[in-house]
Amino acid sequence: MAEKRKRRRADSDSDDESVRLPFKNRLKPDAAILSILKTLTEATKSASTSKTLTLSDLDLSSTCREVTDLALSSVQTEIQTLAISLAKSILAGNGFSFSVPSRAATNQLYVPELDRIVLKDKSSIRPYASVSTVRKTTITTRILSLIHQLSLKNIHVTKRDLFYTDVKLFQDQTQSDAVLDDVSCILGCTRSSLNVVAAEKGVVVGRLIFSDNGDMIDCTKMGIGGKAIPPNIDRVGDMQSDALFILLVEKDAAYMRLAEDRFYNRFPCIIVTAKGQPDVATRLFLRKMKMELKLPVLALVDSDPYGLKILSVYGCGSKNMSYDSANLTTPDIKWLGIRPSDLDKYKIPEQCRLAMTEQDIKTGKDLLEEDFVKKNPGWVEELNLMVKTKQKAEIQALSTFGFQYLSEVYLPLKLQQQDWL
Amino acid sequence: MDSGESSEESPAQAKKGKSKTPRKPKASVLKQKSPAEFFAENKNIAGFDNPGKSLYTTVRELVENALDSAESIAELPFVEVTIEEINRTAFNSMIGLIDRERIDEALYGDFETAKAREKRLAKEARFQETQAKNAALGKKVKEPTSGKAIKGRGEASFYRVTCKDNGRGMPHDDIPNMFGRGLIQISCSFIWDKVWAEANTWKIWTWCKNGVDLVKDENIPHIHLHEKRDDKEHWHGAEIQVVIEGNWTTYRSKILHYMRQMAVITPYAQFMFRFISNTSDKNVSIRFARRTDVMPAVPLETKYHPSAVDLLLIKRLIGETSKLNLLQFLQHEFVNIGKSHAERLIGEMGPDFSSKTPVKSLTSQQIVRIHQLFRQAKFDDPSGDCLSPAGEYNLRLGIIKELNPDMVATYTASAQVFEGHPFIVEAGVSLGGKDVKQGLNIFRFANRIPLLFEQGADVVTRTAMKRINWNSYKINQTQDKIGVFVSIVSTKIPFKGTGKEYIGDDISEIASAVKTSIKQCCTQLKSKIVKRIQAREQQERKRNLSKYIADATGAIYGILKEASQLHANKKKRLEIKDEDAELLQKVSSRLITKEILSEKLAQHVEQVDYEMAMEYATQSGVREEPREDIYLQSLEPQMNFVDFHSPVFVFRLFQ
Repeated sequence: MAEKRKRRRADSDSDDESVRLPFKNRLKPDAAILSILKTLTEATKSASTSKTLTLSDLDLSSTCREVTDLALSSVQTEIQTLAISLAKSILAGNGFSFSVPSRAATNQLYVPELDRIVLKDKSSIRPYASVSTVRKTTITTRILSLIHQLSLKNIHVTKRDLFYTDVKLFQDQTQSDAVLDDVSCILGCTRSSLNVVAAEKGVVVGRLIFSDNGDMIDCTKMGIGGKAIPPNIDRVGDMQSDALFILLVEKDAAYMRLAEDRFYNRFPCIIVTAKGQPDVATRLFLRKMKMELKLPVLALVDSDPYGLKILSVYGCGSKNMSYDSANLTTPDIKWLGIRPSDLDKYKIPEQCRLAMTEQDIKTGKDLLEEDFVKKNPGWVEELNLMVKTKQKAEIQALSTFGFQYLSEVYLPLKLQQQDWL
Repeated sequence: MDSGESSEESPAQAKKGKSKTPRKPKASVLKQKSPAEFFAENKNIAGFDNPGKSLYTTVRELVENALDSAESIAELPFVEVTIEEINRTAFNSMIGLIDRERIDEALYGDFETAKAREKRLAKEARFQETQAKNAALGKKVKEPTSGKAIKGRGEASFYRVTCKDNGRGMPHDDIPNMFGRGLIQISCSFIWDKVWAEANTWKIWTWCKNGVDLVKDENIPHIHLHEKRDDKEHWHGAEIQVVIEGNWTTYRSKILHYMRQMAVITPYAQFMFRFISNTSDKNVSIRFARRTDVMPAVPLETKYHPSAVDLLLIKRLIGETSKLNLLQFLQHEFVNIGKSHAERLIGEMGPDFSSKTPVKSLTSQQIVRIHQLFRQAKFDDPSGDCLSPAGEYNLRLGIIKELNPDMVATYTASAQVFEGHPFIVEAGVSLGGKDVKQGLNIFRFANRIPLLFEQGADVVTRTAMKRINWNSYKINQTQDKIGVFVSIVSTKIPFKGTGKEYIGDDISEIASAVKTSIKQCCTQLKSKIVKRIQAREQQERKRNLSKYIADATGAIYGILKEASQLHANKKKRLEIKDEDAELLQKVSSRLITKEILSEKLAQHVEQVDYEMAMEYATQSGVREEPREDIYLQSLEPQMNFVDFHSPVFVFRLFQ
């Protein structure tokens, strides 16, 4: 009797297992998956030996604007020259004005050869003596003088610091932040060379060792939380890794699951997240890893238009920062999941899927018009499916099969099937 | 508001429902109800749910009847409304009751029990304590709130509402009946309690003292006094006096709002509103002056539109018609059916019908068939000629007169149709003005009558709140004082709810017409607003431009100063052009200072400002606001004149 019950329990256990973790039985041993990953890594390494294209290599009909990293002293000189010319203009009785490159959507261009957005050369005049621009012009001069001080003292401050130096004038941080990007464009340098950084947002964990301002960091020994990505990319160097791929995660929750399960020990990888929309530091860091380690990058984002949008920001750059897309974008990111087609493929139950709102559907349709989506037929197909079914799902929807389903079944299976786009 | 419904069950019904003992079947289960009874049982439908509301409804019915009466004889209306507070003693003596002293105080609702008294005294003591404390601290001492008189049920106030108009008056003999049962709307007011009425007719003064008692099975009004008198003052019109139980304090604002909105929609009328209280400080006296002498045309009587009739109505029309056969009936009793059209319709009805079919012989089935066809067939839309809208001009004048706004725009949409009933939407949007609160102030009118209750679900409120993007017209929905006026005029207003106080949001024809009309007004306003913003910018430009001079030059000078110091340091000498070096030199030797930069920039600002002002002046030119005719009321309608009589002529000299 006891035996019978025991057997039954064993039976029911196994039943539970297959019900609870569907598709688990399809998983091959880890070694097989690892060998698949190795071929991918090899292929990426050999492919990326070829020199990456730059704007100057292309013969584009319209001229484009790109900024470069400038040394601190040249930033200083640039600002001084600009200030002198402004002073001269004022003394001549002409007031003064800035010529600010336009960062509007109409001034953006997607270059398929480079697979990123670049800024065209249209710029607008920002005169002091005009009611509509007087405030912005004043803020611009103020930011210029603040950057000049930073360059003299050779220190870094955050955007928040900058805002607090003259709260009364800036009124709110979005204004000083926007002008900061304008100043980058005016001076033709990256935002990092202005010595202004954003607060730490991104985190990294896994098979990566790098030096942060001279200290060696081993990202396998950073606990579960991982290492915060340094806001100042100049501090980062000496990257080493035995990982087979980089896993880009949209959300903190999924990142935590993978970190706690030590996913990177089962399949050697580096896990990165920017907790939502990526900041400049995370994008710079990802690009640096990709360039130096030559690893394939796989992305795990929500199955909604915003997931794809975040993916595109990593890949092709944001419109707001397109002037520096050369340094901020990481080419060749693969969309691993969660893709709209996965919802049915992995039998995600109805109650875990959400209906898309009007706004979602509109965003989805807008995305279909974007060049960086169109260039990838697989993405177009997935996005069409999403808009058609009007369903979205977050990475967390997989938790319906157990919290560890993501790290134990979904991701290994995806990798085994090489199911990325 | 609707809570009255369930509790208003008639005693007879209540008994039937609740009694458990079987009763003998009554001989007459179906009992005819007098209007008085009906309204007593359905007070909420008539707008008499509570004393406050009934005071409001009484005023409303009297005012609307007064306006109708004057308009029907094309006389510019002059309506005087007076509400007098009457205390119980006076009321009792009026109805012939002797005021009795209370003997057993504890019987009454407002009797203060020992416990309540204790509580009140403790509260008063606490209050005095804090007052003393505040006084000691030098704080402003609050006026002691006068001990609120606890009002028992018996203490409810009575009001004498008097409404005097210059309309057509009423025929002498009809008066008792009209108040008793005929004129249903007015009669509502009379059911509440004892009623007196005085009315006048053209030549003869009719004096009628009349009362309707709330007695079951009583259909006949009690006429206390009814006689004719001479009219020496050549006055015509009606003066009606009603005494009802009411509540002024709670419905004061509603009644005043009503009068104000009425004044907006009928600017050709003059209203005098008075409230006379027992205590003179609460008296109110408002005069709503006449602003125009243009009255809307009296609506034309119209025939029914085939899409708008129901089965009962067709039967009634058949009963009333003088036409003999079906063809003539269709052709003459309905709009938009011509002779050939009628023939085609009859052909479509089936073999049982022919043009010659006598109308009166139609069977019920045949009538149903006609009704079906009316529903399905397509007819031309009825014209809006039979409607009597307020008119865009009058609406505009009314808004200007009562709100005195900074800006106003009005729009009248062309007539549209909903289920065979034509309707016209007129809208006005105003900005600013007196006694207007910030945000949206919505004024709703249905057939030129203000709607005050159940605003939330109304099509106008919904449209204004949700479907108009005020921002795009440079109007701030929360900060600006926006007045939205929408008047819907129709042969049948699709009211929702029992109180006929709002128009539902589910009729897309009306909703879209309301939206378009409001948007049209907003578009008109936008161009005015933009012009105003530009004008303001003109005035403020120099100040705005000068405001930032110190900040801007300070920043530039700061950079220059640092640069000049670096430059002075030979080791770190900058690689710059000679002229730039020269400028830095001047900065170090203080030949160029922050003040000089500021001064130069200020000069530039001055120059730019001047140029722009010139440009603005040449562009806009000398533009004047369009002028509007104003209406001046003659102070003395009777002309003073002297007649010089001769045998052959009269020479009249006006002074």
